[in-house]
Amino acid sequence: MTLAIILVISAALALVFILGVTVSRSLQISEGTGLAARIQPIDVEAFRNLIDPAEDEYLRRRLPASEFRFVRRQRLLAMADYVKTAGKNAAVLVRMGQSALAAGDVHTAEAAHRLVDNALLLRRNSALALLRIYLALAWPNSGLAAAPILRGYEQLNGSAMLLGRLQNPVAPVRISATL
Amino acid sequence: MLQAHSFLWHYLWVAPNALSLILAGYIWRRGIQRRYPFFLCYLLFVALEQFSLYVLDLSPKVSPITWWRAFWFGTIIEGLLKFAVLAELLHHLLHCWPSVAKLGRNLVSGAGVLLVLLAAGIAPFAAPDNTPKLVGGAHILSQTLYMTEAGLIVSIFLLAGFFKIPWDRMTFGIAVGFGFVWCEHLAVWALVTGGLVRNRGWEDFANMATYHLCVLAWFYYLLVSPKVSRKNTIPPKGPSAGPPIGPTPEEDLEVWNRELERLVHP
Repeated sequence: MTLAIILVISAALALVFILGVTVSRSLQISEGTGLAARIQPIDVEAFRNLIDPAEDEYLRRRLPASEFRFVRRQRLLAMADYVKTAGKNAAVLVRMGQSALAAGDVHTAEAAHRLVDNALLLRRNSALALLRIYLALAWPNSGLAAAPILRGYEQLNGSAMLLGRLQNPVAPVRISATL
Repeated sequence: MLQAHSFLWHYLWVAPNALSLILAGYIWRRGIQRRYPFFLCYLLFVALEQFSLYVLDLSPKVSPITWWRAFWFGTIIEGLLKFAVLAELLHHLLHCWPSVAKLGRNLVSGAGVLLVLLAAGIAPFAAPDNTPKLVGGAHILSQTLYMTEAGLIVSIFLLAGFFKIPWDRMTFGIAVGFGFVWCEHLAVWALVTGGLVRNRGWEDFANMATYHLCVLAWFYYLLVSPKVSRKNTIPPKGPSAGPPIGPTPEEDLEVWNRELERLVHP
C-alpha cells in the first residue's frame, strides 16, 4: 500500500513536470525577442587566470598548506560561478539559435545549427566541469582541468558572432567581456 | 454514469481508437510515417487491439479468461511497440546534435536499466488478490510496464530540459501525449495493484478519458501548423538601411578572431 502511494505521488509529480515543460515551451515560443540581453558577458582573461595550473603551483609553493587549501577552495568557488554563467549563456544561445533554425536563408540556418550544437557541447562540458569542481572542493590538492570549458566557450563565441552577424550585422552578439 | 456499458463507456472505448485510425491515415497521407514508422505501427496496433477487446467484451460467447488472455497478448505487443516509439523519440531529439547525442543515449539507457530493475523489484509487493492469477498478473504487468515507460519518458524530458536540447514540434507533441497517458496509467495501475482501488469503475474511465485527450493532443501537434511569428531580423539593405552603428561586423569579427587566437595560442 505504501509503495502504491509512493508510485501515485511520483506519477502525479511527473505529470506536473511534463505540464510545466509544455507550458514553458509555449511561453518561450511567444517570447521571441530580448534573448540576447540575457547573456551575461564573461571575463575570459580572469577565468584563464583562475584555471591556470601555474598560478596554483605558485600559490602552493608560497602559502602554508592550510591557507593554500582555503585559497584554493575560494578559487574553485569563483571558477564554479564562471562555469555556471557559461552554462546559462549556452542555454540562452541554444534558444537564440533555435529561433533562427527555421530561417529561410540557408547560411543563417547553418550558422544557427552550428551555434546550437556548440552551445549544447558547452552546456555538457559545463555540467561535467561543475561536477569536477565540486569534487575538487572536497580534495583541494587534486589537479583540475577546466581548459575544455574555456576552449568550448571560445568556439561558441565564434558561432554566436557568425549567427549574430548573419541575422543583424549592426548588433552582433557578444558573450565575453574582454572585447 | 461511470458504469460499464453506459453510453460514456462505449464512447470512451471506441472514439479515441477511431480517432487513432484517422490520425494514422493523416500521418500516412502527409508522409510523416517515414519519420515516425513505429509511432504509426503503435497507432494502428492499439486501435485494432482495443476494437478487438471491445468486441470480445460485448460478445456473450467469450469467457472472461479468454478476454484476459487477449489483454495479456495485446499488452505485451503494445509494450514492445511503446519501447520502440521511445527509441524513435530519443533518436529524433538527439540525432541533429552530435555534441550531446552519445551522452544522452547513455543516460537514458542507464535510466531504463534502473527503471526495469526497480519495477521488477516492486512487482512482488502487489497486494494479494482473490481474482485468477491471469487477472492479478495483468495488473502487475501493466504497473511494471507503465512504471518503466513513464520513467523513461520523464528521463527524456529531464535530459532535454537540463541540456536545453531543442525539440521539434512533432516529437514534442508525441512525447507530451505519451507522458500524460503513461503517468496517469501508472497512478491508476499502482492503485489497482496496491489494492487501494478495485472494481470501482472510475479507473477504466480515467484511463480511457486520458487516452482520448492524448489522441486529441497528437492531432493538434501533428496536424496543426504552428503560428509563424517571424520577426524581421534581417536588416534592410540599400539606401534605406542607414549608416551602421559602431564598428562594422567585419572589423568586430577580426578583433574577436585576433583576441581568440591570442587566447588559444598564447
